[in-house]
Amino acid sequence: MSALFKHLWIQFKIDIRERGTLMTYYLVPLVFYFVMGAVFSSINPLARQTLPATMPIFAVTMGAVLGLPVPIVKMREFGVLRAYHVCGIPEGAVLFIQSISAFFHLLVVSIIIFVTAPVFFEASYPKSFFAYFLSLLILLFVSIALGVLIGMVARNQSIALMLSQSIFLPTVLLSGIMFPTSMLPQPLRMLGRILPATYIMQSFSGLGFGLPTDINAAFSLLIAAGIGVAAVIFIVIKLKALEKSL
Amino acid sequence: MSESIISVRGLIKRYGSFVAVNGVSFEVKKGEIFGLLGPNGAGKTTILECLEGIRQPSGGTLSIGGCNPQSNGGKLRQILGVQLQSSSLPDGIRPREAMTLVCAWHGMPPRFDLLSRFGLDYQSKKHYREMSTGEKRRLHLALALASNPAVVILDEPTTGLDVQGRAEFHNAIRELKASRVTILLATHDMAEAESLCDRIAIIIRGRIVAIGTPAQITATGQAETRITLRTKRNCLLPGRDIGSARFLKQVENYGIWLCRDAAAAVMELLKEVQQSGDSVEDLRVERPSLEERFLELIEGGYNNECLVQTSLDPV
Repeated sequence: MSALFKHLWIQFKIDIRERGTLMTYYLVPLVFYFVMGAVFSSINPLARQTLPATMPIFAVTMGAVLGLPVPIVKMREFGVLRAYHVCGIPEGAVLFIQSISAFFHLLVVSIIIFVTAPVFFEASYPKSFFAYFLSLLILLFVSIALGVLIGMVARNQSIALMLSQSIFLPTVLLSGIMFPTSMLPQPLRMLGRILPATYIMQSFSGLGFGLPTDINAAFSLLIAAGIGVAAVIFIVIKLKALEKSL
Repeated sequence: MSESIISVRGLIKRYGSFVAVNGVSFEVKKGEIFGLLGPNGAGKTTILECLEGIRQPSGGTLSIGGCNPQSNGGKLRQILGVQLQSSSLPDGIRPREAMTLVCAWHGMPPRFDLLSRFGLDYQSKKHYREMSTGEKRRLHLALALASNPAVVILDEPTTGLDVQGRAEFHNAIRELKASRVTILLATHDMAEAESLCDRIAIIIRGRIVAIGTPAQITATGQAETRITLRTKRNCLLPGRDIGSARFLKQVENYGIWLCRDAAAAVMELLKEVQQSGDSVEDLRVERPSLEERFLELIEGGYNNECLVQTSLDPV
């Protein structure tokens, strides 16, 4: 355990030193949050109300799906995983620690949004804090799992970026964080339902804020968690293959 | 004879239909520096990666300190330190942190003394991305030694280093040998192999074509010994064959002869000088180098080559 904690602490510091990581984990999501809070929520009162739900979804998806895969691909491409392997550090542990470090960074950003949104933008507090934080934890789990999976399957950084964007952009447009999914045409609404963020948004709204939802909120949370579990299973399979081809 | 700590028997590695390593066998005894030499694509790195447990052999048996690299990875990491041919660390990590990390996974306190030993301590605030090639190489060597391994594998460790960096690295390797660490070294550098290795194996197209001490391998070649001689009154010039010494060419006032039996040829040349009433001003006898022997093997003479020596005893 001591090795895991030491490794986690060092990884946390490495993340802080990386400009790219800081941008995707902290700077861009927080700037976007303040712009959204100041401008967009004044146009759409519903957006202001659910700011503590929509902005963590944006921040976590951006950090995990855009920020996490490229460093993982780089570790594979440049032989970092090989160097760790021959020094007795298992590849699985490296990915686990990378994920946990991302989890803490993105949790910090989410809490900053949660705490400041009611103060700066008169956003609502959730009706159920437990349901809110449960949804947030599932959001972190599924997003990080998808980020790691992209990092594991992408052959190079360009492909990783392409895969990341193919999840991130639809998440922003179709999951209901920018505008309600009920406003979308039926085909786009159905397309949005392959995204975990759509289900997380439903559970934040229904379970956390007590708002009406298109899909049963508890069921949505289960689906999102299921997507995360499926991603983890694929990661384990890819990890086994990676260990053989280092 | 000392015990063998590395044993490779009939190692085969195939990638699809391509046979990268074809029945390689050798043993390395404790405290020895054993060199693997070969051109690019000869199979050196594949052999090392099988020993490191990174690749699964297609056939043959391997053992390091009695441990099978493929089935006993945990124990292997306790006895084996590895510096890969190409590897990296996270850009933002510091040498001190890298050492802390590796030692933590080995369940031991950080070996900062190794950083100092390889001249890295004063740069412990530097990030990996800011380090020079030489510093990175030394850091990877320090990390490879973190667990006090009995065996160290170095895959082309001095590639990309400047002359000073190379000399420092060679000194570090000699220090390791002095502390009875067994070293398996893959290199392109003949001078490096000649000066560091107790024994070497030359690998071409996945097979060992010569194995033995550098002197033994050099001695078995077809290349002849070169005798360069200058006398006070140039009595041997213009040059001619003298006894078993075959005249090659004249360079300024030097005559150059080739021979198989250096002792006999030198005696004959000196006798000729003496009989002419002349005196020797400069005499050099140059044995064919390992590089010449290596090139000789590369250029096609290896197909029917017998192994030079299979004994474990270094000279």
